[in-house]
Amino acid sequence: MAQSAAIDGAGIGISNASSVEATYLEKYNYDIVKKFALMAIFWGIAGMSAGTYIASELAWPFLNFDIAQITFGRLRPLHTSGVIFGFGGNALFATSYYIVQRTCQTPLWGGKLADFTFWGWNLAIAIAGVGYLFGITQGREYAEPEWYVDLLIAVVWVVYLVIYTMTLLKRNQPHIYVANWFFISFILAVALLHIFNNLAVPVSFFGVKSYSLFSGAQDAMTQWWYGHNAVGFFLTAAFLGMMYYFVPKQAGRPVYSYRLSIIHFWALSFMYMWVGTHHLHWTAIPDWTSTLAATFSIMLLMPSWGGMINGIMTLSGAWDKLRSDPIMMFLITSLSFYGMSTFEGPMMSLKSVNALSHYTDWTVGHVHSGALGWVAMVTFGSFYHMIPKLWNTTIYSLKLVYIHFFLTTIGILLYITALWVSGIGQGLMLRAFDEYGNLAYSFIETVVFMHGPLVARAIAGMFIVTGMFFMTYNIWMTIAKRNTVTDEATSAAKA
Amino acid sequence: MSDNNSEQHKITKDPITGAETTGHVWDDDLQEFNNPLPRWWLWAFYGTIIFTIVYWVIYPSWPTGLAKDGYIPGTSTLTFKSDKIEDGKRTIAAGPEVTTHWNTRALLAVQMQTDPNELKRQEMVKKVAATPLDTVAKDPQQSAFVLAYGKGIFGDYCAACHQAGGQGVIGHYPNIIDDAWLWGSDSADIETTIRKGRKGNMPAQNTLLNPEEITEAANYVLSLSGEPVDAGLAAKGKVIFETKGCSGCHMPTGVGMKALGSANLTDKIWTQADVPGAKDMAAKITAVEHVIANGIQREMPAWESRLSNDEIKVLVAYIKLLSSE
Repeated sequence: MAQSAAIDGAGIGISNASSVEATYLEKYNYDIVKKFALMAIFWGIAGMSAGTYIASELAWPFLNFDIAQITFGRLRPLHTSGVIFGFGGNALFATSYYIVQRTCQTPLWGGKLADFTFWGWNLAIAIAGVGYLFGITQGREYAEPEWYVDLLIAVVWVVYLVIYTMTLLKRNQPHIYVANWFFISFILAVALLHIFNNLAVPVSFFGVKSYSLFSGAQDAMTQWWYGHNAVGFFLTAAFLGMMYYFVPKQAGRPVYSYRLSIIHFWALSFMYMWVGTHHLHWTAIPDWTSTLAATFSIMLLMPSWGGMINGIMTLSGAWDKLRSDPIMMFLITSLSFYGMSTFEGPMMSLKSVNALSHYTDWTVGHVHSGALGWVAMVTFGSFYHMIPKLWNTTIYSLKLVYIHFFLTTIGILLYITALWVSGIGQGLMLRAFDEYGNLAYSFIETVVFMHGPLVARAIAGMFIVTGMFFMTYNIWMTIAKRNTVTDEATSAAKA
Repeated sequence: MSDNNSEQHKITKDPITGAETTGHVWDDDLQEFNNPLPRWWLWAFYGTIIFTIVYWVIYPSWPTGLAKDGYIPGTSTLTFKSDKIEDGKRTIAAGPEVTTHWNTRALLAVQMQTDPNELKRQEMVKKVAATPLDTVAKDPQQSAFVLAYGKGIFGDYCAACHQAGGQGVIGHYPNIIDDAWLWGSDSADIETTIRKGRKGNMPAQNTLLNPEEITEAANYVLSLSGEPVDAGLAAKGKVIFETKGCSGCHMPTGVGMKALGSANLTDKIWTQADVPGAKDMAAKITAVEHVIANGIQREMPAWESRLSNDEIKVLVAYIKLLSSE
């Protein structure tokens, strides 16, 4: 029964909206999911455009126009916060609120509290973003907002945890679905990370500036404990939660292995917390911390791959969808990039590899193969599945989904390849010797070498932003189509 | 809810793969197979754990109060010559040989003492340090070394202002590969410039001279370099030059003075006013007027505390070679 229902109802999103789905419009709080989903798209465009602009500044420096507010240093945190917390964060709120209701078969707990998380979260990003342009920052990567924004985020996050936990507690299901395990671990871990990394003393009650409670190597290690687990729990565990719902739904197939999901969930949650210090290899930290960071990173490889295997193998028995269903293409490609970047990460955490890769564009390319290839693509696939369901309609154009898919894929491949060339090339140049044993190149010569790859990277960004516009148009038309249908139905009923 | 339970706990067999589900169903159709862990995945996971344990045995790993240094030091060791510290002065690699457990500081010492590239470099640095600069320039091997090593030092510390080729930026940073030297071209002068830095200061004349006088002075300055200016204006400018203070620094003949770093105005070389880049005579005059009116305040920082004596010597030799090419 489940099989046939999945194939008929969830197929590839072009079948008629089902009557079962219509009952969910009343049953679940879809309003909050819609708000977060649309906001995610807004931040996606804003954050990715900012990213493309600063990538262009690196390729063509005149784009700074001697305006301090739009230089790389000011816009870069706007880009990272915009895509990670704006796009990624709103997408996670949207999908987690959607998934927890549907897999618990109960409406979201807390009523208007969910709206508070929406306004609070987005207000925090907006205040922080405007601050960056004027140089207000803690200078901690991915934790740039100053103390007053941190406080707002902490409150929003605790409310999120309460809403999620209470909804799980009143579920109409004997078991908690695997996606929710990942979301809960994400919410708990991020609360822990956010609060400890942002322990700071404001200079004055009315001033923006604060100073960290930690100093020196401890401060650096706290920051990268936070920074890498932002990757681990925000960008990995949470999006695995998204994957665990939308891949089987879209494939119309059961998850490949329940046992694998348990083992890799706990292994992933346990291993990730140890690895942050691999961002600080060869610096003034104790050698034993480097050892633990590198080895736990290596042990993290298979737990990470567990998610990829479970996602991709879920398609066994439905491989044909890889040819016919662009939404499935998004989801499976995202898992492939996930597998690639979670292999690359442990390799780069080995000290000998890190000596070459660190402080080069290789790191930046690695982050983007995860952030664009995995996070953005799994979000796009999930949204194309979820948004028609939220409005109980079908997607406006599958052709536009195809176009978006190919623009994004080409953009990401160009991006990663350009930065492999730039990063590995610069790394090799900086360690090359001449016949007298001198370092063969000065830093400026490596910058000259990087110009070509940096141009290619900026163009790659343009591909991805263009794809975002196709997505926005497609979703706009999907919603507009739904409203037209509703209007016609209403007027027909009246007549 | 209890009805749901009994209905949902039906373990079914998949017709396509033959795998069994766990019997849980969520959201109408979400199910899970009860497939075992893939063997290759499990063995690869065990493999990473074995790799890790071996790594922990070899290198510094777990912090524990039981170990001497506060952490388990690992079995790997490194042997190198320690530094000698006498009367608070540290001499690198002059002390007795020591063996420690593997650590990054010791690794650096080992590499600095054994890496063939580094040994080659150190030998050449020693040779240049012991040779007078004139001899360095004449010795093909040493001058080739200086050009190679100096390029790196110059690229990292000097090129940000003077540009990678040493050509400078007109209006901001002096060209150091032409024949004009504000502060002297001797090796000793160049070394002083690098060690102590320089402050170039020409007072702004716009409070002392009116616009017409500035124009006349500009015409005279350009005439010193043989530019075809208005002879009448230049003649008036000559008077201003000699009576209003210009000649005090630039000397009555306009050749400048090394002690003050004042520019030679007669050598057709321009570091402030972009005369070579001006499209016509009017533009040349405007460029010179601008400098006279606003003066010059610029500074080169002192490098004595940031570069070693060897590096400074190589840099001086490098700049001499660069400017004589």
